[in-house]
Amino acid sequence: MTHASTSPSADSADQTPAESTGRYPLLYLLGSSVLWLVVSGVFALITSIQLHTPSFLAECPVLSYGRVRAMAETSFIYGWIGNVGLGLALWILARLSGEKLRGANWVFVGALFWNLAVTVALGGLALGDLTSISMYQLPSYVQPLLFCSYGGIAVAGLLSWTGRRREMMFASQWYAIAALFLFPWLLSIAYVMLECSPVRGVLQAVVGGWYAQGLWTLWIAPLALTSGYYVVPRMSGKVIPAYDSAALGFWTLLVVGGWTGARHLIGGPIPAWISSVAIVMTVTLVFHYIVVFLNLRMALKGGSLSLGFVAIGLICYVSGGFVDALTSMRAYAAITQFTVYEDAQKLLALYGGASMMFFGALYFALPRLKGAAWSSGALIKGQLILSAVGILVTVLSLAAAGLVQGNALADAKVNFSDIAVQMRPYLLVASAGQFIILTSSLLLAVNFLKTVITCCCKSDSSKEGALAS
Amino acid sequence: MKNGSLFFLGLFAALGLAWVGIVVSSNAQIGSLAGYYDDTDSTSYPARPSGLAAQGALVYKDLGCASCHTQQVRRPGFGSDQDRGWGERQSVARDYIYQTSVQLGESRIGQDLTNLAGRKPSAPDQDDLLHMLYQGQGAMPSYQFLFETHKIQGEASSEALKLTGKQKPQSGFEIIPTTRAKELVAYLLSLNTTYDYPEAHPVAGAKGEGEK
Amino acid sequence: MSNSSHNDSRFERAANDDAQVLDSHEKALGPQKDDAGNYNLRPLLMLFLLSTFVLFAATYVNRYSGHYSASIYNETALPHTGAEVVVKADPVAAGKKLFNSPGACYSCHQPNGQGIAGVYPPLAGSEWVTGSEERVVRILLHGLKGQVTVSGTSYAGAAAMPAFGTAGYNWTDEKIANVLTYIRQEWGNKGAVITADAVARIRSQAGDRKEWSSTELLQIK
Repeated sequence: MTHASTSPSADSADQTPAESTGRYPLLYLLGSSVLWLVVSGVFALITSIQLHTPSFLAECPVLSYGRVRAMAETSFIYGWIGNVGLGLALWILARLSGEKLRGANWVFVGALFWNLAVTVALGGLALGDLTSISMYQLPSYVQPLLFCSYGGIAVAGLLSWTGRRREMMFASQWYAIAALFLFPWLLSIAYVMLECSPVRGVLQAVVGGWYAQGLWTLWIAPLALTSGYYVVPRMSGKVIPAYDSAALGFWTLLVVGGWTGARHLIGGPIPAWISSVAIVMTVTLVFHYIVVFLNLRMALKGGSLSLGFVAIGLICYVSGGFVDALTSMRAYAAITQFTVYEDAQKLLALYGGASMMFFGALYFALPRLKGAAWSSGALIKGQLILSAVGILVTVLSLAAAGLVQGNALADAKVNFSDIAVQMRPYLLVASAGQFIILTSSLLLAVNFLKTVITCCCKSDSSKEGALAS
Repeated sequence: MKNGSLFFLGLFAALGLAWVGIVVSSNAQIGSLAGYYDDTDSTSYPARPSGLAAQGALVYKDLGCASCHTQQVRRPGFGSDQDRGWGERQSVARDYIYQTSVQLGESRIGQDLTNLAGRKPSAPDQDDLLHMLYQGQGAMPSYQFLFETHKIQGEASSEALKLTGKQKPQSGFEIIPTTRAKELVAYLLSLNTTYDYPEAHPVAGAKGEGEK
Repeated sequence: MSNSSHNDSRFERAANDDAQVLDSHEKALGPQKDDAGNYNLRPLLMLFLLSTFVLFAATYVNRYSGHYSASIYNETALPHTGAEVVVKADPVAAGKKLFNSPGACYSCHQPNGQGIAGVYPPLAGSEWVTGSEERVVRILLHGLKGQVTVSGTSYAGAAAMPAFGTAGYNWTDEKIANVLTYIRQEWGNKGAVITADAVARIRSQAGDRKEWSSTELLQIK
């Protein structure tokens, strides 16, 4: 039964008190996240094209490479991941608490101002207020607003946790609370040390690197794992294998992850011990990836589309961790540093790892939040296939381009202007891959809109899409 | 995991440990680095940037040049930075202490710029840089919005770019760099890290990781 | 409805609910049924794995830490333990810098050492420069006033050479030694190196005084 004329009705047993209060704020968060995903995909495609065709949109200062790259990054991290990660974390925390989502109105207000802050940030970046620090491209005037609106969103999650019915905490709850708690500290420390009273000289790069890696290991990865650890046992019906090691994996990520900050500054103008420490911590972090793989490997058995997304997410997440550890060692870093290989790593981790887990949970969550099934199953399958293909194509071509670039850079006899020529074919393929990823995001956006808007337009008494209450 | 406050303390400690270990301790080490006073020249290095160069640094930041250009020369044996003539020695923290916003960069789509004005045998001059900005080169886009087209009134301006071929403006017009272009070029011409600090030239040799 | 949990991709049924997830995982962490008294090796293996990583980390960091020093930027080049290594600057290079520094020698004697005819004597080919170090060090320490004959040409000395070793310029012995070494080996001059010690000796011998005249200097060997 694939294309029944009436959409399947949601099982009423899967409606919990969380949906009663949390429906509209969480739908708003998830909806705006999808919009940001498309916006960031457009910017990412533009930067990808500008890499091999520099004259593309070069006349427009607002769309010059440096600025568009910053806009792509900010809209992806603070727009897409911020909204979807927080939305799913709040939903999962509320459901596991067994209570309704408290402070839901604050969530709504917080989310509105969060998106306002990100929009203002993008406007500022377009006009040139860049910070030149990767993953921290937030103009200083936006950060206090981001911080306060985050408070509105996070408090609800905290209340869901303190007010939970059972005392025990499931892995999703650990990761969600860690993410909710640690982000404001990261942001405020970076704000003070980089904007309010900036540290001197290369320390800015050290603090920036600490923030960027901290954002990944202490915020984005935990949010992604919240979703992964929730969807897998719920869809497979089984207990997570090796669950007693999950706590060890959790603490390894948090304790070790923050030290990996100077990973990209290897060989840079900082005392050598900082990069050495970052290297060993990145390698030690492999333990966490091993634990996550042992825990979530049920997803690889598949059986549903949500699990399919989580499975791809798991593979990308774990392989990304191994690749990070390998390329942090100086012998390999000498080749891959400063090349587009690092862009491939970022894409693998942020899109392949985190975003695919978010997609899996999003496809699981929306029908339960909305009270109606997705509008089209074909679009879900389409997104799964296209995003998998897109990740494969883009990551592999960028990695190949990076290796070509790195090997050419390392050989002083190669003329610098020849390097761009050698990279070009791979970059063209990478642009095609980014286009495929954008298309897959558009499929999600269309499906989302059709699901949410169709049901609003039809009257409640209509049988189609009705929910057994 | 059952004790909520202990959990919170654990989270805080995890973040705090890393922050203290990386950020605070490196701040203690190099956070108040001062210039190096050279007795023979009676000068302190590095030199503070001039006004126009400081403005140019803002233009550099604003256009996001750091997304393609790095400003750090790595040690010998780690890549070929010095063999390519990008610098005579490894960059050290003292090179950056007077930069309000350090632009180390993370990607080398374009060349490293640490020692652009100090390159041997020949460093680019103002005309070279203005032409490169106007025309673009290789993977670098053209930044024509940094230039203006003026109708020639009387004599041609001394600042007009000398262009040939397709790039030439139509007759009666000339291309003049805007203030931003001039500031940016002044900044690029101030990028000079030839001074040899003691810490930039270590003495003994030991095998590096992965090296034979 | 069908009891298959994934019958329609538009709404995929979960295999269990939240309470069951929490229950089953709480049980997984609690005391387990001990079947055949087998000891569960996996947790021990995980700890062992983590320890291996920590051991690798400690060994690597010990080797490449650069002593956690703020001034070691190159982890492969560690300074010798023990004596302080002093980087000796090249005196000729230092002297050249001094010669060309603002307001110093080049402004009168010119960067090519030719001086200005009739006004400033040349340094290139000058017997005063390549001759006795006693004379040339004194000229720099206290200055020269009055007529002087250089390479057969007479210079009236209307413009006196200032003192570099005393108040005003106040150059150290090392600076004077460096700049003299430079001019004695530049522009075809072939003179010996002058050391800072020699300058110090001459400075203490000559004491504090006003500018020399060429007749006074010619009496010193």
